[in-house]
Formats: sequence, structure tokens, C-alpha cells
Amino acid sequence: MKLTKVILALVAILAIAMFVGCNNQNQEQTGSTLEGKITMSGSTTVLPIAQACAEEFMNQNPKVNISVRGGGSSIGIKDIMAGTVEIGNASRDAKGKEINKAKESGIDLYQNVVANDGIAIIVNPKNTITNLTLEQIQAIYTGKYTNWNELGGPDMNIVLISRDTSSGTYEVFYEIAMKKQNIVQNCIMVASNNAAVTSVKDTPGAISYAGLGYLSSSVKPVQVNGVDPTMANVLSGKYAVARKLNMYTNGAPQGITKTFIDFILSDEGQKIVEKQGFIKVK
Amino acid sequence: MVKELIKTKNLKLWFTDNYVLHDLDFTVYEKKITALIGPSGCGKSTLLRSFNRMNDLIPECKIEGEILLEGQNIYDSKADVTDVRTKIGMVFQRPNPFPKTIYNNVAYGLQIRGEKRKSVLDDVVEKSLRDAWIWDEVKDRLHTSALSLSGGQQQRMCIARALANQPKVLLLDEPTSALDPKSTAKIEELCIDLKDKVTILIVTHNIAQAGRISDYTTFMYLGDIIEFGETKRVFTVPKDKRTEDYLTGVFG
Amino acid sequence: MKVFKEILFKAVTYFAAIFSILALFGIILTLFMEGIPMFQEVSLREFLFSSAWYPTNEHQSFGALALFFGSLAVTIGALVIAVPIGLGTAVYISEIAGSRTKEIIKPMIELLAGIPSVVYGLFGMAFLAPFLIRNIGIDSGLNIFTASIVLGIMIIPIISSMSEDALSTVPRALREASYGLGATRWETITRVVIPSAKTGIIGSFVLGFGRAIGETMVVIMVAGGAAQIPSSVFDPVRPLTTSIAVEMAETVLGSIHFHSLFALAIMLFIITFITNLFTELFLFKKVK
Ligand SMILES: Nc1ncnc2c1ncn2[C@@H]1O[C@H](COP(=O)(O)OP(=O)(O)OP(=O)(O)O)[C@@H](O)[C@H]1O
Ligand SMILES: [Mg+2]
Repeated sequence: MKLTKVILALVAILAIAMFVGCNNQNQEQTGSTLEGKITMSGSTTVLPIAQACAEEFMNQNPKVNISVRGGGSSIGIKDIMAGTVEIGNASRDAKGKEINKAKESGIDLYQNVVANDGIAIIVNPKNTITNLTLEQIQAIYTGKYTNWNELGGPDMNIVLISRDTSSGTYEVFYEIAMKKQNIVQNCIMVASNNAAVTSVKDTPGAISYAGLGYLSSSVKPVQVNGVDPTMANVLSGKYAVARKLNMYTNGAPQGITKTFIDFILSDEGQKIVEKQGFIKVK
Repeated sequence: MVKELIKTKNLKLWFTDNYVLHDLDFTVYEKKITALIGPSGCGKSTLLRSFNRMNDLIPECKIEGEILLEGQNIYDSKADVTDVRTKIGMVFQRPNPFPKTIYNNVAYGLQIRGEKRKSVLDDVVEKSLRDAWIWDEVKDRLHTSALSLSGGQQQRMCIARALANQPKVLLLDEPTSALDPKSTAKIEELCIDLKDKVTILIVTHNIAQAGRISDYTTFMYLGDIIEFGETKRVFTVPKDKRTEDYLTGVFG
Repeated sequence: MKVFKEILFKAVTYFAAIFSILALFGIILTLFMEGIPMFQEVSLREFLFSSAWYPTNEHQSFGALALFFGSLAVTIGALVIAVPIGLGTAVYISEIAGSRTKEIIKPMIELLAGIPSVVYGLFGMAFLAPFLIRNIGIDSGLNIFTASIVLGIMIIPIISSMSEDALSTVPRALREASYGLGATRWETITRVVIPSAKTGIIGSFVLGFGRAIGETMVVIMVAGGAAQIPSSVFDPVRPLTTSIAVEMAETVLGSIHFHSLFALAIMLFIITFITNLFTELFLFKKVK
């Protein structure tokens, strides 16, 4: 019965999204003066950047209205393809499948990299482990190790925590860190970066991962292959588990959308990116 | 030679501020049928329910005085309520069978006292049902639901259920008011048959019924006992004007 | 005029009834239309008997067995907790508490029923899980045990209020009959009152079951989300609802993964349908 509610809610949300989307397209024609409306949706990882930049941009240009929704990377790309938003946020690169599908419907998925994001491997502060190799991380998440003392740590069972299989963060972890090996089935799956951090904080034997922006002093990030998960190391390309954060548009951005994306890529915009705990593009 | 079985001494009862039983002194004789009659609301049911401490279940009820069963005060702080209720059984105005089988209804009293032996239970169930004149009607369906019986049968089964405890006294509160004339007649005859075994106290609105079956009659009016005596005497030469009026149907 | 009113009344109630039936069929139709296409690429055997749920990996697999066990485990756990406590509460309120105590307890339990499930989830995640790690020495607090407690607390009000309704409709005459035969309060409650209210009480368990198995937010937050067949109550599990709700947000419309989530929904639907059917049959028979 709960299910029916979920489905009805989804239908309602879709309907509203379409309605809102249609409205926007009409208004977009207002031209390149700083007046108008931008809508975006997609990755919850990109959400804080988008939101903070939008606020600042609207402060400077009071006649501009930017609305930001989440939904996840796939939603962002889907919405661009459906033409319901101007910007689709994605914490991963568009897949070949998606690009082809877009082409079929006459849409050119154009990638604007607005920030970099490193995924930090985190453990509980009580854990004495400070460095793991990618191979060790893979062995841990495939269930080959079950106690930290096998890795030189304390005698404590390893509690595996991962982001849910449908999150963008999982995808990056699965592809970059795990090299596409299946995570063992007893791994706990949590639904958000915050849930991952909270769970690691509360669980002495836990290991998990989260975007650099979500780190707090309550959890301990470990080195990967001897490299600290810092912004500098991500930028220089030394840190292994990193990804790009994208704002997709239909073709190269134009008009007010271009002004907005240029704003994010400006020094001022990139400061906001850093403030949100992400890493600037250059 | 008649023996006094129950005596009430200065029995007073209130429901919150409502003074319902006014300082009653009353006697029930062993192996006799005593009828309680009187207009509606005068306290007959309340008096009856005092004898097996059913009023204890009503939080608003306050009771003073004594009720002596064979000299023991049933309201004594040391008295065991469940023991009182086993010795003084009750049958209600409307048949109230449990939604269980006939067998389990009748065996209930024994079962809650921990009797598990099937032979004992079988014997008691059969004997009680025979005593209540319903054995022949139900012996082939003991394990069907008691709710499938007719109203009159249900009431006799309730009498059997009470008899299974082998009580000294049986309290009947208008036991036939919900029944048809034929079932009523059967229960009246049953009462007369039972009085060799058990003392009966019956509340009834049916004056003729009181006349037919009882040995003693008590007339209550507004919480007082106005008149008590052998039924024949009360019905023919009532001492009190109000008794006479009630019996002749002037009020009621 | 009178005739017209009569017809109007009939029509209005008729359409009201038709509407809910249409809604039901609409939902069932959606489920099957979106769920069946999965079986073009995934065999029914894999779906029902494999426990490998890897919907987004390179080599996708759609074995729902672990998810089925996940749902079952937390629901049974919740009932184990909520049935005795809910029934106990109902008995206390209806049979034992004085009218003043009743006035205090009843609204508090109703308040418990009014708490949104996400709040229960937060309680489980932020308080109960770490509490259990510290106090009973388990490795992780996100597991069947924690989820069962939280879900159990959540369905206590359902079981207690519905059971209490059932208990309070047991006629006074039956209680008096029992007391009149020398039964104590305990004997009266256990041997007469509860058996007489059996239909309503079992109904409350079924309702609680339905609520627990359909609950989504709480299990997302505290059940651990691991798609495995559990071997202990302290194992994390992934109930069907978790997969449906969490994965629907990110899946590509029309993909097998998308259809597989509807197939999970069909499974959930069939479980509740069979449960309802069985109770209906069972209760119906007993009442007759
Ligand atoms: N549970 C109760 N709470 C409060 N008052 C009560 C209760 N039961 C009875 N009374 C009051 O006590 C008085 C006597 O009632 P009782 O039922 O004993 O009368 P009765 O003689 O049996 O009447 P009837 O012939 O109508 O059955 C009435 O005034 C009644 O309102
Ligand atoms: Mg009465």
C-alpha cells in the first residue's frame, strides 16, 4: 500500500516537473540581458555548489531567477534530454549510451566541468590504520579481509559501509577504486554521504567513503597509495580516487546560462566551489 | 427444619452518592427458593450481586455491613473472592455463553481451578448438563459452539455451567425475562427440581412466577425490604399496603 | 423529487466505490505492465532463487531472494516486538487501567502513531544504532535487530489501538460470567476476553504486518541495505522497499533495472495479497 503512494507521488512529481519545464522554455527567450530564469536538476553532490553559486549570482543580478533541484546524476542528464532544464548536474561523465540516446533525439550533451571532487576513504578515528593501497581497498570490499589486524590495524572486525549502488559516488568508487569488482554482499549500503559519515563515526570497525566536501573531524580519512586525500593532490592528479563534477547543457551554453556558468568558472565562483569543500578546476 | 444459610447484617450500599441499599437485614434459608420482587430500580439486582461480590467490579460502588455465609462474612478482608463466587454461583438475565464449545463452557469453572483430568471433566460436564435438563439435547454436539444453541438452551447451559462448580447457592437475576413461555416453563420446573441440591435466590418481575416456584418472597421498595415471609402468606395476606398494591398491579 | 434524490445518492456512492476499484486496478496494471518486461532479459528463476542483486554493476544480476528475506526478517522481527507489547498495552488500557490513567496513556500512544516514519528512522540511526554498538558489543548498529526494534515501536500503536477496540467490544456479560464462576482477572482476560476478541486482535497483527513490510524510510535508514540472506539477527539486510525507493531515483527510465524495481513491487504486492487472503479465509472460517 505504501508502494502505491510512492508510485502516485512519482507520477505527481513527474507531472509537476514537466509543467514547470514547459513554462521555462517560453520565458527563456528573453535574451542575453541579465534577466530570466534558469532551472537545473541532477546530482546531489553538485547540489551545494549549484545552490551557493546560484544564490550569489542572484544577489548580483536580482532579476535572474535560478531554481535548483536534486534527483541524482541520471536525472540531471535525463532532464537535459527531455529539455525540461537548462542545466543538468552530474557527478560523473555522461555514459556512451546516454550520449547516443541524446543524439537520437537531437540533443548535444555538452560537458562543462565546474569542479573536481575527491572521494576520501574514511575510517573511525579509533582505527590506527593510516594508509591503504587501492589493492587493499579492493580486497577489503570484496570480503578478503575481515579483521583490521590482517592489515596491521587493531583487532577489530571490519564493518563495510558503502553508498547505495545507485548513487554517483558509488559509481565512481566502483569504477575507480574497485576497478569494477563486485562489492561483497554483506556490505552495508547507506543512502547519503552524511549517512556514511555518521555511520563511520558511530561504528569503531567501519570503513566507508565520501566526497571530500563531506569530511568532518568525527571521521578519519586514510591515505590511498600513500597520498593524502587533499585538494592539492586531487588537482595535481596524484590522488587516485577523484572525479569531475559536471554541469551538462544542450550544446555549448548560451545567453544567461553561459553567463551563469562563466560565473562559476570565474575566480569568484571557484572560491565558492572551494568553500563547499570541493576542488577548483585549475 | 429450615436452616439459615445466608444472613445480611446492616447491609448498606452506595453507587457514588446514590444510596441504593438501605441498611438491610435479610435471611436466605437453605435448600429453598427465595424470590426477590419489587418495582424497577428498587435494588433487587444490586442486592443479588452483593451476595457473590459482583459489585466489587464496579469502582463507584461502596458497601458497608456484613453478609454471612454459614457464619463467615464474605466481605471479610481475609475472604477469598473467587472462593465466594464458586460457592455462590450466578445466572444472568440474558444468556451469556462464552464463544467456546458447549463442553468448554461447562468445564470452564473446573478448568480455571486447574482440573485437567479428562475423566473428571467429562463426568462433571455430563452431570451438570443432566442436572440442568439439557443433556439429551446437546450430548451429540458437546464440541460445537455454545452460540449455536437456542436462547432457552443457552440459559439452561449457563445454569449447568454454574452448577459445575457445585455451588451452595444459585443467584438468578430475571433468568427467564429474555425467553419464550415454553423455555420459561422449563426453567421454572428446573428450579423446583434443583432445590434439593442448591439454595436458590431469584429476582423476577413476573409475580406469577414468584408465586409458582418460590418458598419465600421478599418485596423490596426503593432500597428497603418492605416485607419478607413465606410466599403463600405474602401473596394472600400481605402486611404492608405497598406489597398489596404491587401484587395487585397498582404500580410496578 | 424523492426518487431523483434516491438515484443521485445511489450514483454518487456507486462512483465512489468504482473509483477505488479503478485505482486498485490501475495500480496493479501499472505494476505488471512495467514489471513483466524485465523477464525478457532476466529469467524468473534468477529473479526468485538467486540472491545476487547487482543492478548497476558491469555484470548486472537481478536475484531478489536476498531482498525478499530482508523484508521478511525485519517484518517478523517487528512483529516479535510489537505483538506482545501492543497486545499488552491494549489489555492494560482496556482491562486494567483506571479511567484517569487511560486518559493519559491513550493520547500518548496515538501521538506515537502520528510520528512520521523518517523521525523513527533518525531515532534508530542516530540513537539506537550507536547505543547498541556501545552496549551489546556488536560491530555495526545497522541491522535486522535495530530495524526490528524501530519498526516494532512504529507498529505498536496500530496493534494496541486496534486490539483495544476489539477487547472493549467484548460484552460485559462475558466478563461477568467468567468472574461469576470464580475466575480471577488474569483468567478472565486470557481465557475469555482475548479469545472473544480474537478476530480483531489477529486483524491488528495483519495490519501491523502490512505496515512493517511496506515501510520504506525506516529500513532505508537502519536496516543496513546489504543485499544478502541474513544468517544472524545482527546482519544488515536490504528489504524490497529499500531497493525500490533508493534505486528508482537513479535508474534510467525503461532500462531492465527500472523494470526490475517494478518486479520487486509485484513481489511485495503478492506477499501482502497472500497474507490478507489467508487471514480472511482463516478468520472467516473461525467466525462461522
Ligand atoms: N453500575 C451502577 N452504577 C451506578 N448506579 C447503579 C449501577 N447499577 C445500578 N445502579 C443504581 O442502583 C439502583 C438499583 O438498581 P438495580 O439494578 O439494583 O435495580 P433493580 O431493582 O434490579 O431494577 P430492575 O428491576 O429494573 O432490574 C438504581 O437506582 C440504579 O440506577
Ligand atoms: Mg435488575
